[in-house]
Amino acid sequence: MDVLFIIFAVLTVVPALLMVVSRNPVNGAMFMIISFVGMAALFVLLEAFLLAILQVLVYAGAIMVLFLFIIMLLDMDEVEKIKPGTVTSIASGISLALIIVGVAVLLGSDGLAGQSVAHLAAAPDFPSADNPMGLALSAKAYGFGLFTKYMLPFQLTGVLLLVSMIGVIIISKKRETSQGQEQS
Amino acid sequence: MNLEVFKQISDTNRWGLLLPEIYLVGLALILLVFEMLFRRQDLLLIVRVAIWGQVLLLGLMVLQYLEGFPTGSVTAFSGLLTQTPATEVMRLFFVAGSILVSFLATTYLRRQNLPRTEFFAITMLITVAMMVLVQSSQFVLFFVALETVTIGFYVLVAYCRQSPFSLEAGLKFLILGALSSAILLFGIVFLYGVAGNPALPGHVADSMNFADLASFIAANPTNPLVLIGTCLVLAGVAFKVGAVPFQIWIPDVYQGAPTPVTAFLAVSSKAAGVFVLLTLVRGPFASLHSFLVPLLSTVAVLTILFGNLTALPQRNVKRLMGLSGIAHAGYLLVGVVASMTVDWAVYAVVFYLITYLLASFGVFGVMIQMAGDDDSDQEVDHYEDLGQRHPFLAGVLTVGLGSLAGIPPLGGFIGKLLIFIAAFQAGLYGLLAASIIGVVISIYYYFGWIREAVFRVWRSPEGSPAQEGASTFTVSTVEIVTLGGLSALTIGIGIFPSLVDCLMRL
Repeated sequence: MDVLFIIFAVLTVVPALLMVVSRNPVNGAMFMIISFVGMAALFVLLEAFLLAILQVLVYAGAIMVLFLFIIMLLDMDEVEKIKPGTVTSIASGISLALIIVGVAVLLGSDGLAGQSVAHLAAAPDFPSADNPMGLALSAKAYGFGLFTKYMLPFQLTGVLLLVSMIGVIIISKKRETSQGQEQS
Repeated sequence: MNLEVFKQISDTNRWGLLLPEIYLVGLALILLVFEMLFRRQDLLLIVRVAIWGQVLLLGLMVLQYLEGFPTGSVTAFSGLLTQTPATEVMRLFFVAGSILVSFLATTYLRRQNLPRTEFFAITMLITVAMMVLVQSSQFVLFFVALETVTIGFYVLVAYCRQSPFSLEAGLKFLILGALSSAILLFGIVFLYGVAGNPALPGHVADSMNFADLASFIAANPTNPLVLIGTCLVLAGVAFKVGAVPFQIWIPDVYQGAPTPVTAFLAVSSKAAGVFVLLTLVRGPFASLHSFLVPLLSTVAVLTILFGNLTALPQRNVKRLMGLSGIAHAGYLLVGVVASMTVDWAVYAVVFYLITYLLASFGVFGVMIQMAGDDDSDQEVDHYEDLGQRHPFLAGVLTVGLGSLAGIPPLGGFIGKLLIFIAAFQAGLYGLLAASIIGVVISIYYYFGWIREAVFRVWRSPEGSPAQEGASTFTVSTVEIVTLGGLSALTIGIGIFPSLVDCLMRL
């Protein structure tokens, strides 16, 4: 298990890093797909199979295809020639250092200590009476959760999709100057 | 899997509590169907259905509250939704805001020749999401509602596609809004993770729930992850409110957006943000009192000073409304900070929001009438001699701006007074001083505008650019009644503040 974890963790982190530093957007998108697949494998190791499948289907599949489409439509060759300025480089270097220090400090604090993770592994909180949603592993548990407890957010998501659908039509539609509407 | 548990959970899904929201969604869908079925000539029908449908809803809600205003708090949807008297007032507030936005939009959309049905539908759906947002007491519902509001606004801001300003504003809002949502989500995930950690004392089962989270945070008030998560969540919400240092998007977006959308952003969106802040600060984060009061106080002082000082040299009225809106967000933040110690400060904030709604929509109504073909280019100079050209509009403008500046006996004065008293009782003397300095500065630029509109009798020698547009005024009766009604309410609330008080008899 540990060997697998290390392999997939490397497969997740290294392409993520390469994606950020690669100058060619298409290469970047490809690295991102590899990183997503690695993450899906990590989900499998955690026995969260549904999440793993969703990760591959939705992120590595649909969303990345959309990304690639847009990158290729936009003809991004010019972007490669732009070199980052000195100030930008220094600022990003400082931010990176801060993030690394922050994560290190957090790992040292009691918030994420190894002991608590071990505790969680020893007594995983599977669906129980007071916490049916605790660690929803199977698709069935997701379904029950979605249609009972999270019914209201689920319905509201429908409203969200409706809004975005109307919005896309309104903003992208080419309008002939409608004379009829002016008279109404 | 224990199905009984799920059955109990679904029994708490009391959809009857959300009837106004369901009605509004239905109305929006009906409008879209009408758009498909009817010819272009019948489109006036859609405008009528949209506005009168919402007025009917407001009437029904008021009638229901006349029978007896709810006094306690109701929790439903297995803890996702909590209704309190304050959220009931906010629901009325949002419906009223939606009606006024739709009303302003009819004039604007006719002039710019833009499609109307979709505008009304999106406005109503955003309103629904805001109504759910203020009632949500769990982060999943909270986030979905907030995203619905934000995505709706992305569309509305870029609604006037022909105008490069509108498109630019839409793009800026989209990028910065997505960034702020990411920050907020990051904070929520931190809190969720740490509150569900079985190794920590007082860990809870549903760590997305505000009540559970409150009990966890009370047990671990110094945990670094809790503090980081809290800061990120508050930063995400502060972005929606437009508090310093998350105010960069405001001037450009306010200027570029169509004027009714600017009004919607300035009033309803800000009100939703402030109310959510109140809920968070008094609910889950209540035990971080000693950490949050200095933090939020600093933000409030910076917000007030930044908003007022940048509004001073501003000549574009839409930017002026945006920047002075930042200052108003600052006063509201003072109320939010005070509400952590003084309970009734919640009602001071809600009262302030109501006066802000009345005054702002009055001013924006006049702005819509004054706007030329280019909506984003409205200078203070265009208002020259409005008092002679159209005394009624000048009067509405004066009442609205006076109320925003906080001049007695207008409503805005009472609103500011209540917040200041709350801050005084909470012992926030520094905040009080900053707010009073802010109010003094704000009188300068609000009255510069009033002076331009009403008192300026001499004319600059090179002639005024507003002269050509002067003859095109046609203000319909409905508009006169609405704008007059807003002004009358502003004055009425100022003289009899108990008018609102009886609404909030709690």
